[in-house]
Amino acid sequence: MLGLLVLAVVYVTWTAGRLDRLHARVDAAWAALDAQLVRRAAAARAVAATLPPGPVAETLDAAARAALEAGAEGREACENDLSRALRAALPLPPDSAELGELETATTRVGLARSFHNAAVGDTRAIRLRRIPRALRLAGHRALPQFFEIDTAMAQ
Amino acid sequence: MRIGITCPYTWDVPGGVQAHVRDLSAHLIGLGHDVSVLTPVDDPDEAHLPPYVLSAGRAVPVPYNGSVARLVFGPLSLTRTRRWLREGEFDVLHVHEPTVPSVSMLACFAASGPMVATFHTATARSRALQVFGTALQPALEKISARIAVSAAARRVVVEHLGADAVLIPNGVDVARFAGAQPLPGRSAAPTVVFLGRIDEGRKGLAVLLEALPELVRLVPGVRLLVAGPGNADDVREAVPRSLRDRVELLGLVSDADKSSVFASGQVYCAPNTHGESFGIVLVEAMATGTPVVASDLEAFRRVLDEGRAGVLVPVRDPGALAAALGALLCDPPRQARLAASAREVVRAYDWASVTRQVLDVYETVADTAPPAGHVEVDPELDTLAALLEKGDGTDDDAGRLVSTLRRWLADRPRLADRTRSPEAWTDRS
Repeated sequence: MLGLLVLAVVYVTWTAGRLDRLHARVDAAWAALDAQLVRRAAAARAVAATLPPGPVAETLDAAARAALEAGAEGREACENDLSRALRAALPLPPDSAELGELETATTRVGLARSFHNAAVGDTRAIRLRRIPRALRLAGHRALPQFFEIDTAMAQ
Repeated sequence: MRIGITCPYTWDVPGGVQAHVRDLSAHLIGLGHDVSVLTPVDDPDEAHLPPYVLSAGRAVPVPYNGSVARLVFGPLSLTRTRRWLREGEFDVLHVHEPTVPSVSMLACFAASGPMVATFHTATARSRALQVFGTALQPALEKISARIAVSAAARRVVVEHLGADAVLIPNGVDVARFAGAQPLPGRSAAPTVVFLGRIDEGRKGLAVLLEALPELVRLVPGVRLLVAGPGNADDVREAVPRSLRDRVELLGLVSDADKSSVFASGQVYCAPNTHGESFGIVLVEAMATGTPVVASDLEAFRRVLDEGRAGVLVPVRDPGALAAALGALLCDPPRQARLAASAREVVRAYDWASVTRQVLDVYETVADTAPPAGHVEVDPELDTLAALLEKGDGTDDDAGRLVSTLRRWLADRPRLADRTRSPEAWTDRS
């Protein structure tokens, strides 16, 4: 009986610790994704400034500004609009420093999104199990959400 | 950037993962990064190791996944891994094949912070994952970014770990292969090159040998140049007596000579039957400018750009292989066309491009300073490690395990003492 109790206590503390780490990984992954999204939007504005004045440049600049200013709620939609505006602006004038930065930032956004969603997936898999859920082992932390945006940038 | 890399297989035994770690490290160092590689090493004389390689100890041969793997796993390796992590102060830790019970797995258990893992195998079943899957999960969960070197390896990651991986291919030093000269003293006879273990069935040399009589009928002067370790007599016996002088066995060739072997033939043939995850040898032949005739396996189809950068033939079909080889040997303009498209394809596999992509991953997980921070020693293992770290001169994992067990048993009476006098609790902490 005592043995069972000890096992249960070990399991609970260990799982709580595991969830702690997973949440830390989600936080780090989100910070990385956030940083890369901001970088991409800033790069998109810089590219928009190099385009000839017209509707394409204006849409791109507006989408980039909206993405930079978006709150947590509308972030996915704004970033998707920016991806779309970027694709609409193709082909961009080649080989400028601004375009290089935009390409790097777009690659990084894709990577950061994939790493973030993997971290969210791992965390949710544990949190949604019966025992961790019943005992609220994750504490007060909100269930992490996937960040689904389309980052394809056909060239 | 300070980068710690772990290689699970013995450094001084040739192998794909070892070569990948070696080349990646060299290119990262070339770009000005600080790299330290922790790996099992067999040769006790460590003077021959490159300066960036640190030995995790001697590996023990273990039958694993159908072949013999040389692995290190145990208290001494854990101690060394922890010390390496502590002293390295890495910005990012890059483990290769963390599901193989060796240093990479130990590093996963022992570290916390920004971690990248590369998965190489395309074997659908990993023994370690089947047996220890649940126990490994917490260690694998710490990995911030997963990389797979091929679509097949990526599928394994998704199936076993339930998480996606970024696809970054294996790298090849394109420039080193592109300038290769044929081996000295080669005749101008039309030559087909084979490279790989000659006694390993899945490399498919038997299929090529079976195709030889028909190929000789199509191209009377043809020669076969076979490079790779294995029993040469078995190969000779598989060839009709009259054709034996057509087959030239080079045995094991050094990495440096590999490009010359490719350059000594008009066609490189990869008759593999199954189990190929990537096809790095194909990329190397393509970088040399030697057109490729290969089995229609998924991995090869990808490398050969669906047949645009090389010829694909049905698997285990000697007749089709002979026909394809014969047609290509008799058609130099087509050889040139294939070589040109291959050179285009190969650029994506150049280490310069691959290293850039790996660095993109490093910077994505390590750039955000406050939350990600540095790679640190995971405190969770402190108690266990403290028990194991009390060294007593033994320098292999098994010896250390036995001595730890013996010490633990010897400590048993003292446990009884402690329960009587609470002061005793502090005397050993």
